[in-house]
Amino acid sequence: MTASTPGTGALVQLQGIHKYFGDLHVLKGIDLEVEAGTVLVVIGPSGSGKSTLLRTINLLEEPTMGKVIFDGVEITDIRTNLDELRTNIGIVFQAFNLFPHKKIIDNVTIALRKVRKLDEAEATERAMAELKRVGMDHKAQNYPSQLSGGQQQRIAIARALAMRPKLMLFDEVTSALDPELVKEVLDAMKALAQEGMTMVVVTHEMGFAREVGSRLLVMDDGKIVEDGVPREIFENPREERTKSFLSHVL
Amino acid sequence: MTRPAGGFQAWLDEQTKLSLAAVLAGAAGILVLIVGSAIVFTTGGLTPYESIIKTSHSGAQTAVLFLTLLLGAIGIALGFSVYRRMPTKAARETAISGGALGVQAAALAGLFLWVRDIEKFDLLVRQNFSFEILGEIAPEFLNGGKNTVLLAAGGELLGIILGLVLAMLVLSKRAVVRAPARAYINFFRGTPLIWQLSFIYAGIILTSRLPISVYQAGIFVLGLNAGAYSAEIFRAGIQSIERGQIEAARSLGMTYLQAMRYIILPQAFRRVIPPLTNEFIILIKDTSLIVFLGLTEGQRELFGIGRDAYSETFNATPYIGSVLGYLAITLPLIRAVTALERKLRSGLTGIVGM
Repeated sequence: MTASTPGTGALVQLQGIHKYFGDLHVLKGIDLEVEAGTVLVVIGPSGSGKSTLLRTINLLEEPTMGKVIFDGVEITDIRTNLDELRTNIGIVFQAFNLFPHKKIIDNVTIALRKVRKLDEAEATERAMAELKRVGMDHKAQNYPSQLSGGQQQRIAIARALAMRPKLMLFDEVTSALDPELVKEVLDAMKALAQEGMTMVVVTHEMGFAREVGSRLLVMDDGKIVEDGVPREIFENPREERTKSFLSHVL
Repeated sequence: MTRPAGGFQAWLDEQTKLSLAAVLAGAAGILVLIVGSAIVFTTGGLTPYESIIKTSHSGAQTAVLFLTLLLGAIGIALGFSVYRRMPTKAARETAISGGALGVQAAALAGLFLWVRDIEKFDLLVRQNFSFEILGEIAPEFLNGGKNTVLLAAGGELLGIILGLVLAMLVLSKRAVVRAPARAYINFFRGTPLIWQLSFIYAGIILTSRLPISVYQAGIFVLGLNAGAYSAEIFRAGIQSIERGQIEAARSLGMTYLQAMRYIILPQAFRRVIPPLTNEFIILIKDTSLIVFLGLTEGQRELFGIGRDAYSETFNATPYIGSVLGYLAITLPLIRAVTALERKLRSGLTGIVGM
C-alpha cells in the first residue's frame, strides 16, 4: 500500500476534520496524530464532539471535510476498502451492541468466520482465548440478555480483540453501567493498555484518564482545547475551559 | 344498612354469594342454550332441512329456550341489582359478569324465539341449512380447501421473497434505488387486488399467450400483491433493529450484505412474524377473488366451489360450506398469532428463546 503521508509514522492521523450534522457544526477543524502504543484519553463536556471524533477514526461518521489516515492509508479516499480496513480497528460502544440472537461464543466467532475466514475450530479456539482473557469464557454458551452489563461489555471487548486489531476505540464504554460494574470493565481496559495496545478512549472516568492514559485530549465545542500528559493537565490546566470543565467533574 | 347477626365476616360471605349466584345463572343460561340446542338438534337430525324446522318448533327446543330466558333473567336481575353492594372488587366484577352473561343468554334465546315464528322461517332454513347439499359436495370442498391453501402459500412464498428484496431497495440511501421500489409498493397497495388479478391475467398473460394456467397466474398476482405488503412489514422490522447492531457488525469488517444476512435480518424476522402472519391470513381470504378469472373444476378453491354449487342449486348452503373451510384454516392461525404476540410482548421469548 502507498503511504499517503510519509514522515510521521503515526498510526492515526486526522487532518483538518470538520463534521456537520445538518446545520450543526460538531467538529471544527481537528488535527491529530496518534502514535502506536499510545493510550489517548479524550475528555470534555457532553456535546463537545468527543464521540463523533472517535467514530470518525473508523469512519462510522464520515467527515464532511478533512482526511483520516490509518496505518499510512488514507481511509477517507473512497477507493479504500473500508471493510477490510475496519478489521484492524476494534471499537467498543456505550450500549455494548452485542448480537442478542447469538450466543456469546458466536458473537465472538461470527466475524472471525465470515470476515477473517477462519474455520470453525480455529475461530472457536481464538474466541475462547479472548473470552478467557476478560474472564468470560465460562459464559460462552449463554445469550447476552442473560448477562450483566459489565459482563456484556467485557465480551464486547473480547469480540473486538479477537480480530487482532492494531487500534482499539472505546466510546464511553462505562457510561451505561451500574456503578459497581464499572471497575471490572476498566480493569480489562487497563490490562489491555499494559500489553501495549494503541487505544483511543472517550470517557468520563477521570481516575482512569489519569492513571492509565498516556496522553490526554480535552475537547470543547468541536475543538481540541488542550493536549498533553494527563497528570500535568489535571494538576495544572493551562486553558480556562479545561479548568472550568475539571472543576465540574473532579 | 343493618347487618344480620353473625358478625362482619358472615355478612360479607352472604353478600359475595349473591354475585356468585348471578354469574352462575348467566353462565348456565348460555350453557343450556348451546348444549341444549346442540343435543336437541342432533337428536332431531340436521338433514333433511325439514327436520331442522320441525325441531325448532319442538317442545324440547321450546323448553331449552324458555329455560335460557329464565336463567338469563335471573343473571340480569341479580347481577345488576347487587353489584353496587359487593364488598370486594372481585365480587363486584363477578356480579357484573353475571349480568352481562344473562343479557347475552336472554338476547340469543329471544332472537331464536322470534326468528322461528317469522313468516319466512321455513324458507330461510331451506336456503341456508340444507346440509344434504354439503354432504354431496364434501369431496369438492376438501379439494377446494387444498387449493385455497396452495394459492395462499404459493402467493405468500413469492410475496416474502419479493417483499424482502423490495424492503432492501426501499431502505437504500440512494433515491434512485428507492424510487422504483417505492413506486411498485405504492401501486400494488393503492389498487384493488381484483383489478390486479383481472388486468394482469387478461391484459398481459392472456394477450401474450403465455403458457400459464389461471391457477398459476393467480399465485403469481397474489405474490406480486403480497410482495408490496410484505415489503412494508420487512422495512418496519429492519428499521426497528437498533442502529448499534449494524454499526457493531460493520465495525467488525462485515460488508453491508453480511451484516444484513447474519445480524439484522435474523433479528428482524422474529419481530415481523406476527404482522407477517396477519398478512398471510388476509391473503388466504383474498384467494377467493381468483374466482373471477374462471377456474377449471379441479382448480376451484373454497369460495368458487360454494359459488358454483349455489348457481346450480340456488340454495345458499354451499356458502356455509365455504365459510367453514375458511374458518378451519384461519382460526388456528389467528390463535397462533395471538399466542405468539403475547409471548413476544411478555418478553419471555425476547430475542433469545425462539
